[in-house]
Amino acid sequence: MNRFVTTIASGLCLAAASALAQAPSDAQIAAIVVTANQVDIDAGKLAESKASNAEVKAFGKQMVTDHSGVNKQAVALVTKLKVTPEENATSKALKAGGADNVKSLEKLSGAAFDRAYVDHEVVYHQQVLDAVDKTLIPSAQNAELKSLLVAVRPAFVAHLEHAKSLQASLAKKS
Amino acid sequence: MRSIGRAAGIVVAAAAFASAPPAAAAGRTHQVAIKALSYEPPALAVKRGDVVVWTNQDPFPHTVTAPGVFDSGSIAAGKSWRYKVKQAGTHPYVCTLHSNMKGTLQIE
Repeated sequence: MNRFVTTIASGLCLAAASALAQAPSDAQIAAIVVTANQVDIDAGKLAESKASNAEVKAFGKQMVTDHSGVNKQAVALVTKLKVTPEENATSKALKAGGADNVKSLEKLSGAAFDRAYVDHEVVYHQQVLDAVDKTLIPSAQNAELKSLLVAVRPAFVAHLEHAKSLQASLAKKS
Repeated sequence: MRSIGRAAGIVVAAAAFASAPPAAAAGRTHQVAIKALSYEPPALAVKRGDVVVWTNQDPFPHTVTAPGVFDSGSIAAGKSWRYKVKQAGTHPYVCTLHSNMKGTLQIE
């Protein structure tokens, strides 16, 4: 597991660990959701422009579209609920991990970029899914916020499966 | 007398219409909601000539694709796709963007 994957994994483990000590508030969950989506949008934009494999490029484009859609809905909901997203250790760790990932990916090109991007997407979606299941959904107090998390959860499952299948097809080519 | 005859005719016509099974009426429109990455209802039985409208209630695009039979292409968030059913048979369909989404259209 490379360094940036470790960083993001540790950021999300932090989410799980902090949940044991104290469940995040709805304002903190909102910040985690928006940041988690934004991190994947940033990586997806890079893949859209840098990936050499057409399927990886299309996957990156889809990540930008899907996660932008989720964020638009999340922002609309928290605006309606008059909740101001509150930065916290988990959202900060996600942001730092995302920036680290982009920095590492920018140094790569060709098949090495494709593999590193897809490897990260597999780990990232698995970790986000774990955080959604173990921390975010159980901790959400507002029913609409909880419903939003439940409604978008299958998208993370679909993205994870898609990333895994890309990972397998890239491995065959190498 | 003429008006009574006409009224009786209307009653007979209405009774005939009421006794016909609803499925026999061609050209019905059926709605399928796409929400939380599911097709609701996931399985639908329709007749040739009916119209099915899929409405995407998720915040990102989906497709309704039965390879070789029908393909909506990308349906944006909040948009719909209408399909007038033609080919009889049982057609499983998927979203090409999210492989965990599956539905079935049964066309008589």
